[in-house]
Amino acid sequence: MLLSLVSRRSLEVDTRDSYGFALRPQHVQRYREYARIYKEEEEERSEKWRIFLENQKESNQFCSSEEEPRQILQAAELREETISVRGQEGDYSSGRRSNFHGSEECDHYKEAQLADAPEKEVQYLEEQQKEQSSAEPGKEVQLSKEPEKEDQNSKELEQVVHHLGEPEKEVQLSKEPKEDKLLLKQSKAGKVQTWYGIRQSLRALEKMMSSRVKHTKNMKDNQITASRDHILSTKDAKLGGQAKDVEEDVCVKDTFDEKVKKTTEENTADNENSLELFFPWKEELVFLVHGGVPKDLRGEVWQAFVGVKARRVERYYEELLAEETDADESEDHGNSTDVARKWKRQIEKDLPRTFPGHPALDEHGRDSLRRLLLAYARHNPSVGYCQAMNFFAGLLLLLMPEENAFWTLVGIIDDYFDGYYTEEMIESQVDQLVFEELMRERFPKLVNHLDYLGVQVAWISGPWFLSIFVNMIPWESVIRVWDVLLFEGNRVMLFRTALALMEIYGPALLTTKDAGDAITLLQSLAGSTFDSSQLVFTACMGFLAVNEAKLQELREKHRPAVLLLVEERSKENRVWKDSKGLASKLYSFKHDPGSITEEKNNGEGGNSDFESPSSNLDALLGSPNVETEADLLPNLQDQVVWMKVELCRLLEEKRQAILRSEELETALMEMVQEDNRRQLSAKIEQLEQEVADLQQALSDKKEQEAAMLQVLMRVEQEQRITEEARETAEQDAAAQRYAVTILQEKYDKAMASLSQMEQRVVMAESMLEATINYESGQAKAHSPRSGHNQSSAEETPGRSMSLLKFGLGWREKVKGKPNHESAHSISSNEGKDCSTWQKESKD
Amino acid sequence: MGCSSSLPDRSSRRLSGLGNPESNGVPDAKNLRVKLVLLGDSGVGKSCIVLRFVRGQFDPTSKVTIGASFLSQTIALQDSTTVKFEIWDTAGQERYAALAPLYYRGAAVAVIVYDITSPESFNKAQYWVKELQKHGSPDIVLALVGNKADLHENREVPVQDGMDYAEKNGMFFIETSAKTADNINQLFEEIGKRLPRTPPS
Repeated sequence: MLLSLVSRRSLEVDTRDSYGFALRPQHVQRYREYARIYKEEEEERSEKWRIFLENQKESNQFCSSEEEPRQILQAAELREETISVRGQEGDYSSGRRSNFHGSEECDHYKEAQLADAPEKEVQYLEEQQKEQSSAEPGKEVQLSKEPEKEDQNSKELEQVVHHLGEPEKEVQLSKEPKEDKLLLKQSKAGKVQTWYGIRQSLRALEKMMSSRVKHTKNMKDNQITASRDHILSTKDAKLGGQAKDVEEDVCVKDTFDEKVKKTTEENTADNENSLELFFPWKEELVFLVHGGVPKDLRGEVWQAFVGVKARRVERYYEELLAEETDADESEDHGNSTDVARKWKRQIEKDLPRTFPGHPALDEHGRDSLRRLLLAYARHNPSVGYCQAMNFFAGLLLLLMPEENAFWTLVGIIDDYFDGYYTEEMIESQVDQLVFEELMRERFPKLVNHLDYLGVQVAWISGPWFLSIFVNMIPWESVIRVWDVLLFEGNRVMLFRTALALMEIYGPALLTTKDAGDAITLLQSLAGSTFDSSQLVFTACMGFLAVNEAKLQELREKHRPAVLLLVEERSKENRVWKDSKGLASKLYSFKHDPGSITEEKNNGEGGNSDFESPSSNLDALLGSPNVETEADLLPNLQDQVVWMKVELCRLLEEKRQAILRSEELETALMEMVQEDNRRQLSAKIEQLEQEVADLQQALSDKKEQEAAMLQVLMRVEQEQRITEEARETAEQDAAAQRYAVTILQEKYDKAMASLSQMEQRVVMAESMLEATINYESGQAKAHSPRSGHNQSSAEETPGRSMSLLKFGLGWREKVKGKPNHESAHSISSNEGKDCSTWQKESKD
Repeated sequence: MGCSSSLPDRSSRRLSGLGNPESNGVPDAKNLRVKLVLLGDSGVGKSCIVLRFVRGQFDPTSKVTIGASFLSQTIALQDSTTVKFEIWDTAGQERYAALAPLYYRGAAVAVIVYDITSPESFNKAQYWVKELQKHGSPDIVLALVGNKADLHENREVPVQDGMDYAEKNGMFFIETSAKTADNINQLFEEIGKRLPRTPPS
C-alpha cells in the first residue's frame, strides 16, 4: 500500500529506483537504461495478466457452478461480476492504471464508483470510521471476518469491505488532500490493524495456492511445538479450532488424505496432481509468473501465492500485539520477557538500518515495521527475530497492508524457510553445503578455479540465500525472483537463481587471479544484474533438474554434518553462558537478596531457551514453588493454562533429557574408542620397537658387509700386485731367453768361423806339408844335402803341430761343453792329420 | 568495486586500490595479501569502520549486514611494503555466529569491535576473543577495537578495561571513531606492521 506513495515521490529523487530503493551511484546510469525496458515489460505483462484473469473468471464461473451446486449464490454472484466487467469494457482506454483496477474490481463497489464517486467516498469514510471503532479493545466487529464466519452468501458484502484496500490508491488519483487526511487519520489511530482480502479476480488463484497451505498446516498442528513458547502454544490450542474452520471453508475439495504424517515430498506431489486436475490453467500461470507479476497486482498475487487467507487466524495478530502491554505489566513469565526484550532491542537497532532513507519508511512506516516484527517474534519464538527479516517485512509492507504482510511473512519464514532463521540456522547451513555440491556438479571448472584461489562458494552464496537476494542484486531482479519463489512455495528458486548468476558470471570469474578480486568481481557483477528477465529465465529454464525432490535428497545427505557441528558449538556456548549466568545471579543476589525467587523463575525461563543441562535441577528446585502457585490460581481456566504451560515445560525437559542421553551415548562411544585407541597405541609401540630392532640388525649386517668388502678389496689388490710381479718376472725370463738365443747365435757364428779357420789351417798345413814334401823330394834328389834337409823338414812340422795344439787348447778353455765334440773332431782331425802326416812320413 | 574510489583528502600514502601491486596474484614479502575478518556485536559499527577505511565515507544509517559482506583495500606501509586487506565484514546478531567460522577460518587477522557506550558489546567482544583463541588460526593477529570513541560523553567501557583485556590476551588495542575517522587508518597500519613478514604460501 505504501508503494503508491513511493512511486510518486521517488521520481523526485534521482538515485532511487521506481520502488524507492537507493541505487548505487555506479548503477544509476545502467538503471536508467533499463528503466525503459522495465516499463515495456511491465506493460506487456499487465496485458497478459489481464487477459489471463478474464479468461479464468469465465472458466471459474463455469467450474464453480458445476462442481459445487450448493454454492448457487456464489455462482450467481460470479456471473454478475463478469457482466459488470463487460459493462466496463469501454473504460479501458482511460489510462492503464485505473483501467487495470477497473477491469478487476467488481460489483457494488465498482458500480458505485462509476456511478457516483462522492457517494463512494462517503462510504469509504464510513467504513474507515467503522473500522477504527472496531479496533477499540472489544474488537468484535472485524471487517474482514465475514467470509469465513458466515456462509459464502455474504461474499458480496465482503467484497465491499475487501476493496477498502483499493480506495487508498483510487482516491489518491483523484483527490489527494482528502487522501492525506485519511492517511493521517489512519496512522493517528495507532492500533488500527489493517487487513484486506484480495480482489475477487484473484480468488481462484488464492484457492489453488491455499490448498497447498492446508497440508503444511496440518502437519504443523501435529508436530506441536516443543520449540514454541508456553503462552503461545496454549494460544495455538485455543485458536486451533478456529483455524480448522477456516481451512474447511477455504479448501477446494477434501479429496486429500487427511491423515497427517506425510512427508513434504508426498505433499507436493499430491498437490501437483490435484492442482493439475482442478486448475487446468496452471501451466499458463507458471509461464506468467516467470514473466513477472504486474506491479499493481503484485501485493495481492503474492498473498494469494503464500495462501495468506488460509493461514490467517482471526484476531491472532491483534492479540500478538496486545501481548506486548501484558508482558510489560506482569513479569510472571520471566523467560518470555527476557528473550522478548532481546528481540525488541535488536529490532529497535535494526529499524533505522532497514532501507535507510526509503521514502515510505518514515515514522509511521517504521512503527508498522516494528509491530510486524514484534508480532512475528511472539508468533514463532523458535525464530524470534533474525536479521534479514527486517528487509523482508519492509518489502512486504511496501506492497500490502500490515496484517496481510504479517501473514505473508509467517508463510515465508515458517513454511518456505522453515529452520532457516532459527537460533542455530541449521537449514541455512545445510543449504550451503547442498549448493556447493550442485556447483561442483554443474560448474566443475569454475569451482576448481575458486578452490585454487582459496575462495569458498558459501562465502558468497551464504549472504545471497539468507537475504533472498535483497540488497544483493538490483530490485527489479529481486522482485522477479520473489515472484517465482513465492509461487513455487519452496526454496528451489533460490538455488536456481544462484546457479544462474554463476552461469552468467562464471566466465568472468575464471579470469580472476586472487581471492579478493574474484569476490569483489562477483559481488559487483551480481549487483548489476539489471536484466531481470534474463536472470529469471536462465534460472527457471536452465536448471530444471534442480528440483525440490533432488534438493531434499541432498539436504538429507548433508544435514548430519551440520547437526554435528551445531551440537559441538552449543556445548561450548553452554559452558560459556552458564558461567556467565552464574556470575550474574551471584551479582544480583549480592545486590538484592530479596529477588531470589524471581531469579529462580528467570533461571527456568532462560534454560528453556538455551537448553542448559542444568535445567533439570532448576526444575526440581522450582517445582515446589510452582505447586503452591497452582493452588493459588483463581480459577479452572487459569489452572488449565498453567497445566499446559507445565506440560510444555515437561516436554521440553524430556527433549533435553533425550538430548543428554544422546550426548552421553556419544561420550560413551568416544570412551570406547579411546580404549581401543590405547590398545592400538600399545601395539603400535611394540611394533615400532621391533622395527627398530630389525633396523639395528640390518645396520649391523651392513657394517659387516662393508668390512668384508674391504677385506676382499685388499685381497684383490694383493692379487693384482702378485700378478704384476709375475708378469715382470716372465718378461725378465723372456728377455733372458732372448739373450741366450742371441749368445747361441753368436757362438754358432763363432764356431762356424772357427771351423772355417781350422779348414784354412788344415789347408795351410797340407799345403805346408806338400811344400815340405816337395822340398824334401828336392833335397833327396840333391842327396848330400838331403840329410840336412830331412832334419829341418822334421823340425818344421813339429813347430806347426805345437802351434795347432795351442790354438785348440785356447778353444777348449773358452767353451766348456762343445769342447768334446770339437776336441774330438779336432783330435780326429788331428788323428787324420797325424795319420796323413804318418802316412806321408811312411811314404 | 570495493577499492575503486579514492578521495583526494585521504592520506597520500594510501594507494588507490585497483592498481594493487599483486594483481599478478603472487604475493611476496614486499606485497602482502591478508584475509581480515571483523567480528563483534550487532550495531557496534563494523561496517562503518570498513566503509570509512575503504571508501572514506560515513553513513550514520548504513544497512544491516546479512551474512557477511566483502571489501578490499590496499595500503602502503613506511617500510615500503604494501598490504592488501581482504576484509570480511560479518553480521553481528548472535545467531549469525553460527556462520562466522566460515569467514574467520584461515583469516590472518581478526578485528574484534565493541561499542564503548555498551558494556554488553564489550562482553560479546570477549566471547569472540575466546572463540578465536580456540578455533582461529594459531598465529592469527588479534585486534581489539573500541568504536564510537566520539561518543565519549556516553562512555560506559573505560579505556583501561579495553587495554587491560587486550594486554592480557596479547592483542593490539585501539579506540576508533568511524564517524570522525579517528584512528581508522592507524588501526589498519598497525595491523599491517604486526603481520608476519613471510607470507603464508
